[in-house]
Amino acid sequence: MTALALRSLRHRPTAVVATFAAVLLGTALMASFATLVESALGAHDDDRELLIVMGAVVGSWGALIVLFSVASTVGIVAEQRAREAALLRTIGATPRQARALIVYEALVVALLAAGVGALIASIAGGALFDALQRGDLITSASTYAGGPASLATAAGVVVLIGTVAAMISSRRATRAPAGISLRQVETPARRLRWWRILIGTLLIASGVTSAIITITVTGKADDAYAAMQTSGSASIVVGVGLATLAPVLLRLLATPLRPLLARSGAGLLAAENTTRRAHLLAGVLAPVIVLVSTAVGTLLMIGIDDRTLAAAGDPEDVGGTITMINSVVIGMICLFAAIMVVNAVVAVVTHRRAELARLWRIGATASQLRTSVVLEAAVVAVIGIVLGLLASTATAVPYSIVRHEGLVPNGQLWLLPVIALVAAMLTVGTAWGAQRRPAQ
Amino acid sequence: MIQDAPALVVEGLTKRHGSGAGAVDALVGIDLAFARGTFTAIMGPSGSGKSTFLSCVAGLDRPTSGRVLLDGTDVTHWDETARTRMRRERIGFVFQDFSLIPYLTAAENVALPARLAGRREEPETVRRVLARVGLEERAGHLPAALSGGQQQRVAIARALVTVPAVLLADEPTGALDSATAREVLRMLRAAVDDLRQTTVMVTHDPVAASYADTVVFLVDGRVAGRMVGPSADAVAAQLAHLDQLTGVAR
Repeated sequence: MTALALRSLRHRPTAVVATFAAVLLGTALMASFATLVESALGAHDDDRELLIVMGAVVGSWGALIVLFSVASTVGIVAEQRAREAALLRTIGATPRQARALIVYEALVVALLAAGVGALIASIAGGALFDALQRGDLITSASTYAGGPASLATAAGVVVLIGTVAAMISSRRATRAPAGISLRQVETPARRLRWWRILIGTLLIASGVTSAIITITVTGKADDAYAAMQTSGSASIVVGVGLATLAPVLLRLLATPLRPLLARSGAGLLAAENTTRRAHLLAGVLAPVIVLVSTAVGTLLMIGIDDRTLAAAGDPEDVGGTITMINSVVIGMICLFAAIMVVNAVVAVVTHRRAELARLWRIGATASQLRTSVVLEAAVVAVIGIVLGLLASTATAVPYSIVRHEGLVPNGQLWLLPVIALVAAMLTVGTAWGAQRRPAQ
Repeated sequence: MIQDAPALVVEGLTKRHGSGAGAVDALVGIDLAFARGTFTAIMGPSGSGKSTFLSCVAGLDRPTSGRVLLDGTDVTHWDETARTRMRRERIGFVFQDFSLIPYLTAAENVALPARLAGRREEPETVRRVLARVGLEERAGHLPAALSGGQQQRVAIARALVTVPAVLLADEPTGALDSATAREVLRMLRAAVDDLRQTTVMVTHDPVAASYADTVVFLVDGRVAGRMVGPSADAVAAQLAHLDQLTGVAR
């Protein structure tokens, strides 16, 4: 099975690239912050707390997104293999062997990518430490001590998550009897599992709780940054929570759009696809929500902080540095979410090749198919942007209130249309590009 | 439309794959006419050009030379969009893999060609054509909830709903067990008898071919013979001796 897995990898470059990119970036991001925690152990007493907070708290924002996206990429890729798994089983592979193929593949790619990611982090971690030192957040008494321990731990966690995700998805791919899975070209829609609904609901609840705590408790603290610690991650947590529930939300929210779409043949296909196949397109919706919620929520928070820090009192005079680090982290996370959007769109459109060919055979023109794919992406983008903006309020509104700007921040509202436009162009543009590529 | 013209005529139909020394002739000057209301089976060994023939007629593939006349109109040189329109309005196609759209119900699958053409099929028409294939009770089911035979019957309903000039079937029973296959074949036969639906079916199964009025044998891209009023035994016997048939034809 290992040999077969390696051989099969060479024949599916798209899937390999998607998993590789997700794991590589994920490891690079997580391991960079992990090195700060390792450095904290030997650091000067004055610096220990900050390094741990930076590494653990800020790093865990990213970690949440990284793990989510690695899991979803590996999941998409593994699910696409359902048919091939069925084929292997008809020629005598046991379900366990067929699952092993999927898991080995994910493991091999994840190990390679995590290795490269850790290498990048070994440099990026040092650079991050330098930046902190130059910004006078860390005294010169401490030295960078990131090494194999923190790098390997972070890489290991990412690989582990990817492998577990592949295991869960592969189980799904081999659940039905072989003959049935082979005949069913379609991955059947299934109800969201109870644990997914639970996780999603808990994440949203915890994000909302952070928002409430920000207004009622930390916002009144003497430390100007206490509020940021509770509200900063709220939009990301709510965003990931909504993303976890993406299949349900897409079905629910795309339904009212049906009459609008169903006026043309291409629109009808898009309408049916977004509602009845929400379980597939949810793979695209999820990263769009996370991208928008993270970018809008956190950037608005940084803006509010900039405008009001003087009034709130900045005894340690670290505002500029914190803004800088926030921006870098958010930039990385957004880049990551953007890559996830592209990955997911390409995966979904590639997955639909056979169906598009079928539609063409029964009389859909090439331009109708193109319109249908693009409309679908547009529906998903719009819903993702709306949900993302909703999630972003979990950070922006409480922070705006505690910094006395009221319910709506005083500035930078231009961020909303700009980020919405970027998310929409990313989703629709990728769909446009993906459907243009000739079938293999 | 010329009323007396055969529903489908092909003249000197040739399809060559590739070029130069490696070129393969899939079809070599096929001349055939399919009269209105007839049921023709096209048979031949693998690689005889059966499927290529059907693809060229349906406009899925472009012939290298020759003509295809549908209802007396030459459609050979139509562009991609015109051929797609022809496919959804003038041709009904039934495929071995059913080719249903997985996220549309049986009724929606049947109404799809009309929707793609920018029309709305009358619900009554959809109901009637589904009833014809015995599936009016299943109109609201997704393909995944239907058996293979039922899926193929939905595909037949989808092919019939536009009242096409010709219904093309490519191994329609290839993925079905023999009992279900007979059911599907009876439905194709009924469409010919009741609706005068001109039907052309590619198959390698002598039993399936015996439902047709005429069997045309293809060998190496050429018409090697024909049989009127075929029985399954006679077709099977003929298939076993196709080499002799080619000898005669040449």
